[in-house]
Amino acid sequence: MTPPPPPNGVASMIRQSPSLPDSPINRDILSVMKGASAGYWLLLLTAVGFVHLAGGIWIYQVYKGLGIAGYAHPVFWGAYIVTFVFWVGIAHAGTLISAILYLFRAKWRNAINRSAEAMTVFAVLTAAQFLGIHVGRIWKSYFILPYPNQRGLWVNFKSPLLWDTFAISTYATISAVFLYIGMIPDLAIARDRATGLRRVLYSALSLGWQGTSREWKSHNRTVLHLSGLATPLVLSVHSVVSWDFAMSIVPGWHATIFGPYFVAGAIFSGFAMVLTMMIPVRRIFGLEAYITDYHFENMSRFLLLTSIIVGYAYCAEYFIAWYSMAEPEQSSFWYRAFGPYWISTWCMIIFNAVLPQLLWFKRLRTNLPFLFGLSVFINIGMWFERYVIIITGLSREYNPAVWGTYTPSWPELGIVAGSFAFFCMLFLIFLKLFPVIAIAEVKEIAIHEKEHPDGSWEHAHVYEEVH
Amino acid sequence: MPTVLGVFRQPLHLARAAEVLRGRGYTDLEIFSPVPSHEIDHAIDEKPSRVRIFTLIGGLTGVVTGYAMTIWMAYDWPIMLGGKPFASIPPYTIIAFELTILFGGLMTALGLFAVGRLPKIRLHPAYHRRFSAEDFALLVECRERDVSEIDGLLRDHRALEVSVVPS
Repeated sequence: MTPPPPPNGVASMIRQSPSLPDSPINRDILSVMKGASAGYWLLLLTAVGFVHLAGGIWIYQVYKGLGIAGYAHPVFWGAYIVTFVFWVGIAHAGTLISAILYLFRAKWRNAINRSAEAMTVFAVLTAAQFLGIHVGRIWKSYFILPYPNQRGLWVNFKSPLLWDTFAISTYATISAVFLYIGMIPDLAIARDRATGLRRVLYSALSLGWQGTSREWKSHNRTVLHLSGLATPLVLSVHSVVSWDFAMSIVPGWHATIFGPYFVAGAIFSGFAMVLTMMIPVRRIFGLEAYITDYHFENMSRFLLLTSIIVGYAYCAEYFIAWYSMAEPEQSSFWYRAFGPYWISTWCMIIFNAVLPQLLWFKRLRTNLPFLFGLSVFINIGMWFERYVIIITGLSREYNPAVWGTYTPSWPELGIVAGSFAFFCMLFLIFLKLFPVIAIAEVKEIAIHEKEHPDGSWEHAHVYEEVH
Repeated sequence: MPTVLGVFRQPLHLARAAEVLRGRGYTDLEIFSPVPSHEIDHAIDEKPSRVRIFTLIGGLTGVVTGYAMTIWMAYDWPIMLGGKPFASIPPYTIIAFELTILFGGLMTALGLFAVGRLPKIRLHPAYHRRFSAEDFALLVECRERDVSEIDGLLRDHRALEVSVVPS
């Protein structure tokens, strides 16, 4: 007896053919998204709980006003701005990995670019909230946008705060576009293997991607152009953030080194955050085959390089303060190291410039528990760096009659803690909804290595160019 | 018009098959590939993608918008400062720069959708999840009488399976 002809042509024939083994790369990486252990739910619920707690504190602040923050005249930029700069900094590693390393053809970025890009988007989202929290009267925060109004009035584009608005919103938009565009082929992979509601979600998000030559070709081009656009963007965003300070004449702020100093610090803290998040993720989900010691060693080298730049900037600031013979500048830096904020200052110097020097040793660069611990210290140190710059600068300006000492109040610290919970919450949700490693890119390397066992990826390209 | 589907394991084999087919005059080729491949791109269509036009237009629109908006707003709400001109070009360059990136990036994304013909409502009937695993598909649109020739050519170039997709 012959089987009835397949109703839907060859496509259904293939579907009925003995089930083909799926690609192990798909299987391994998609397995991260499957199911969720009790530990995961516990972590997620803790994060959600803290986010709600912080939300409650914020509502309390809106009700009572900014008086409940620890502001002490003349320090009216406090923990909120510190945390805003901190999160914008964290965002920088993602774009560096996905755009700059893409342009430099650094293949090792494939294992970490997706998670780092996601962290970029989440960190910018976290940072952006602090602008609204900091202004206090949240219902007036739209005043920063140029919108037509009955007073015939426009925003002042000569203000660095306006530049910041444009830089941050551009950064949020472009990094989200970058993350999504890069993920489309992987969403198609997920679509082909999902059922039920997830299939509907991935079908919609993958836009009917089939990997045709037209699709891949324009996709490659798009990623290249977005990288080309995002590379100057990533360098500009933290420069613009630094100009919020450098454009003023506050001692300790008014420095031309601030642009590169902030950008290096941002990349430094961003890489530290990628390490903090990815070392546990790799361990928990068994991704050792994809995120190898080699990747961690390369990230450690970036940490070391940027740590040296940051350390240089610390030294340069002190040197220029001494060399300038400007008394307010000199006393500001003396106050930094030996005034009431000395703990923050020495935390910043030791955690950011001294401790990372241990990464000169290869054995420590590949020692993951050490790297995890170091990355946590760097995160703390980088928060303190912004704290030191912002608070000590403001609390001792030129006129001793308007000196003040600021200490963060409990609502501020609660909201700052909530921002970490918010970031972790978004990342935890991301882990279960989207592929945490760029599957198609990892597979591209795997297939290429299979075709060119002599290991010459570049060789293949040269061959192609010649023909 | 029948469509012949050849399944390959390696992109190089598919690229060679596509090159031979194009040499024989079968230009209506389509692929499903799990990974991007320069070899395949060159074999199917060597023209550079037109996404670049979108980026250019977006970037230029952004830089013009950035300067035009800031300068116009400076004159619409003039702030007199020491007799200096109302519009101050250096700070406005920052806005123009950010809008260049913003518009350029968004137009590039739009370019992907326009040039890559996305989104597609329906998947091709021959599409299968194996083509998002590790298999590569080459689809050849041809006349009825050419099917057997293409079948032979595909098999000669190490196609694992060849079948006909009814239209």
